[in-house]
Amino acid sequence: MTLDRRLTLCAYALFIVAIFAVPLFVDEFGLNRIAKFLVYGMLGIAIALSWGYAGILNLGQGLFFGLGAYMLAMSLKLASPTSLQQGADKPVPDFMLWNAEPGAPTDLCCINKASFLWLPFQHQSVGLVMGIALPVIVAALLGIIVFRKRIEGPFVSIITLALVLLVRLVLVDAQPVTGGFNGLTDLASLEIFGFEFDPYSKGTYWLAAGILTLTLVATRLIVETRAGLVLQAARDDQRRVRYLGFDVSLYQTFFFCVAAAISGVAGMLYVIVAQFASPTFMDLAFSVTMVVWAAVGGRASILGACVGAILINMMEAGISETEALVGAWKAIIGLVFVLTVLFLPRGLAGLLHDQIGRFASVGRDKPRVAHVPMSSAAVTETKEA
Amino acid sequence: MNVSRRHLLKAATLGSASLAAPHIVSRAFAAEPIKVGALYSQTGNLAVAEKLLANGVSMAVAEINATGGILGRPVEVVVEDGASDPKTFSEKASKLIVKDKIMTVFGCHTSASRKAVLPIFEKRGAMLFYQTHYEGFECSRNVIYSGAVPNHQLANYIPWIVKTLGKKKFFIVGSNYIYPREMAKVSKKLIEAAGAQWVADEYLELGHSEWAVMVKKIKESGADVVLSNVVGDSIIAFYREFKNQGISQADIPICATVTSEIEIAAMGADYAAGSYTSFPYFMSLDMPGNKSFIERFRKFVNDPKQVTYHSLEAAYFQVFLWKQAVEKSKDLGAEGIRTGIAGQSYEAPGGKVTIDADNLHCWLTPRIGQWQADGQSKVVDAYPHPIKPLPYFAYGETESNLFCTSKGLDTAKLKI
Amino acid sequence: MIDVLFIGLSLSSILLLVALGLAITYGAMGVINMAHGEIVMAGAYVAVLSGIWLKTSFYVALPLAFLAAAALGWIIERLVVSRLYGRLLDTLLATWGVSMLIQQAIRLEFGLTFLGIHIAGLGTGLQNVAVPAELQGVVNIAGVELNAYRGFIVLVTVVLTALTWFIMYWTSLGMKVRAIIRNPKMAAACGIDVRKVNALTFAYGSGLAGVAGVMMSGFKGVSPDLGSSMVVDGFMVVVTGGLGSLIGTIMASGLLGETNALVAVATNDILARAVIFAAVILVIVLKPEGLFSFKRR
Repeated sequence: MTLDRRLTLCAYALFIVAIFAVPLFVDEFGLNRIAKFLVYGMLGIAIALSWGYAGILNLGQGLFFGLGAYMLAMSLKLASPTSLQQGADKPVPDFMLWNAEPGAPTDLCCINKASFLWLPFQHQSVGLVMGIALPVIVAALLGIIVFRKRIEGPFVSIITLALVLLVRLVLVDAQPVTGGFNGLTDLASLEIFGFEFDPYSKGTYWLAAGILTLTLVATRLIVETRAGLVLQAARDDQRRVRYLGFDVSLYQTFFFCVAAAISGVAGMLYVIVAQFASPTFMDLAFSVTMVVWAAVGGRASILGACVGAILINMMEAGISETEALVGAWKAIIGLVFVLTVLFLPRGLAGLLHDQIGRFASVGRDKPRVAHVPMSSAAVTETKEA
Repeated sequence: MNVSRRHLLKAATLGSASLAAPHIVSRAFAAEPIKVGALYSQTGNLAVAEKLLANGVSMAVAEINATGGILGRPVEVVVEDGASDPKTFSEKASKLIVKDKIMTVFGCHTSASRKAVLPIFEKRGAMLFYQTHYEGFECSRNVIYSGAVPNHQLANYIPWIVKTLGKKKFFIVGSNYIYPREMAKVSKKLIEAAGAQWVADEYLELGHSEWAVMVKKIKESGADVVLSNVVGDSIIAFYREFKNQGISQADIPICATVTSEIEIAAMGADYAAGSYTSFPYFMSLDMPGNKSFIERFRKFVNDPKQVTYHSLEAAYFQVFLWKQAVEKSKDLGAEGIRTGIAGQSYEAPGGKVTIDADNLHCWLTPRIGQWQADGQSKVVDAYPHPIKPLPYFAYGETESNLFCTSKGLDTAKLKI
Repeated sequence: MIDVLFIGLSLSSILLLVALGLAITYGAMGVINMAHGEIVMAGAYVAVLSGIWLKTSFYVALPLAFLAAAALGWIIERLVVSRLYGRLLDTLLATWGVSMLIQQAIRLEFGLTFLGIHIAGLGTGLQNVAVPAELQGVVNIAGVELNAYRGFIVLVTVVLTALTWFIMYWTSLGMKVRAIIRNPKMAAACGIDVRKVNALTFAYGSGLAGVAGVMMSGFKGVSPDLGSSMVVDGFMVVVTGGLGSLIGTIMASGLLGETNALVAVATNDILARAVIFAAVILVIVLKPEGLFSFKRR
């Protein structure tokens, strides 16, 4: 085991211990808030996987997050007590009544033309399964088309961007079925085997922390498999890998789908923790913001991107709740983004890595370069991630 | 527009302290302050409207503090930024309620943000004061709705358009979300009941500002009046395009439900002159309290040209209704507010308002204003008195057949 | 039918106004400038402020906005973008931060709100730009009623496009820019001051955005988030047209604008927008190099 590897292992262990230790120190509000941040951490992982490892900058990651969120939210909406209060035997979401044609039957099957799509979601398991399945299916279809055509770089970004905006538009327009701009609100808590995941409970926090840990470890292992190595090689030079006989598009599609699945799960977790789903999950700003989280944390590091997402959100919460800065917090966050991209191209993970590397080398042979400013060193070392 | 609200707030409190009798001061500062939340967007695209609402709330609180606070305690506003994003609204609402243990929050502007935070208020037993006119169909016991509901805006409006303006063919246009769609639904019923007809019911994406095709459709539809439920800065682009395509408000007037003094000032009064809006409050109202309200608000935001409008007035007077409720029940909790506020009246800048004991919505006076060349409205029709709010008006709710009462929503009556 | 085509032409012009600047900064320089929309917004605020403080007419705002936006662009280039050449996606992220900064700067009146100072024309609220009377209403040309303001937009777009064309293909600066597009290292080796030319080019592209902002202020409300939705449309036009191709950008904006108008007339505006998104995806999938590109990706 190299020093590097041991350190990485340490960092992962430290992070996992830290998130599981959180409930010892915070109140129920803190738990709920940090659970949300852990969900954002999962989005960071998804971005690091597709951007850092596969070289695919997805500017529409919010699409998969949103799809996952909506799938579970549909089930939870039907389980909500308010859905049973419409005077029908079977649950009907309240917003469908608003949008119904006069005289339509108050029944999920036929209150409007597309409401039958909701029927399977009366079983919560359908929502849970579709929350992963739908993002993966969409990612697979998109991936097969895009990567077979060998489209890369900013072109993939623009396609994903246009797609997420297209879906958002349709989602808002299809108000009778989707709740439109309001999204799906007033949801029930998730219940598995009789255990209710109240958003402020420790149980829900453990769920989020557990899934995040699982994702983190699984993602880390998966990029170290042969497939992961092929993928990284393809990121650096597609043509070379293709000449070696690998079907690059297959690998890209696979990892694109994994990232989509992670985002889908994150979307579901968010619904459990925040109890609503909204078309704003598919806003351009949200998708770009995710990418910035990953960039701040370190796009080439799975743990880094995850921690970056969590830290930025903590910082945002801290600054925006400081009384004097309520109006200015966005400007401060913007400044942090600019400065990070300019001076820490590999993010916090890169900075830490260099620091530790230096520290270790200092320990071994006598100090030589101890006082070179870190940021400039990082800039010269890294050209493109 | 908003200038250092906190700075001014401080100044207002201190200023009042020096003016007020010493015993009030000592009492006010000895007691622990009552904390309330103000949850509006300070950033993002909705900040345009919501920052003013936050100012309305802050000014009301400053005035309450200047006159000795509530129950001898000063009121402290905790301002949080919803950032125009339901995600942030939900998080900040839970911060205010769960972490800061604040029981009363003034806030939200869009239905989307209200819907996102509502479960938190209901599960935690806190009270939301919501000032924006909205589509109805809500009967929460944890919200005081001080803005208009569809029967305030439409019940007199549509018959008036048909009878007084003599219009027969409506073109209904709105932004694509729940409020305009619900307003369109109510309007259609009223239009048909008044013996007129509607020729189209069209929607444009929220925030969309390209009106060329829609206005062309209006021009060619044969409609003689436009009913506009368009919101936000789309309004400006709409009215401008309307004139730019050569349609005169005298031939085809735009009758709006959302267009307020804010949008008129931004588009330029000449584009809107001759069009109509239905609102319970207009800046031009010749009421004793209104002039002083406008003056004080302009001073508060440090902008001598600032306009006032319906939601702002409601954001302001709801704080006083809350004060009266708390003083009556001597209980700061949601239950205390609920029981205390039922039937509570207040002389607002736009006249008397009352919180309905049944559904916690607000009795308001429907008024129709015609926009003039100076950007102000002339009230051309008004009810003589405030009328009862009916949040389920679209589904057949009437004053004698209430759906939403203090026991909650009677779902048996609710038919599509 | 002529009126529909005219609407389409005006939509194309608005797209082109925004995309023209991007075609230069992104297409030519390889900078994904997410703050482009905010530069458009800044241009609109120049119109607001010059109306309030200088009492000058709408027309005067056009050159003023060009200069102000160009200066802003120059500053952004020197401070941020110039450190990021060759790191395409990093320019996207950094300028995203810049766009947040510019928006908040306007909203907070450059921080003066904290001192309790208010400047008329800045701040969160909606601002008004007075449009000259001759640009309101319709003009009658050969029996066809045309929207005067839209006519003016088309005119301004044509002038700016011609100007850009001239600069790019008939001046030595344009030749240097084209050389840098093709091969920056070789251009530098030939003695072109790449840094200076880049800064100038970026400033020019930003200046065009500033003019676009003034034109926007004439038909929509001016607020700090005026430009945030524009940058996406701009990018879609540039990518559809093909990177580095001015003619491609012009053709693509024409295509998307007319499609938008025709679909909107036949169905509705929401569907039209959906069709545009779908069309852009389709074009990139089928012809990733863009519809009219001389340069392979």
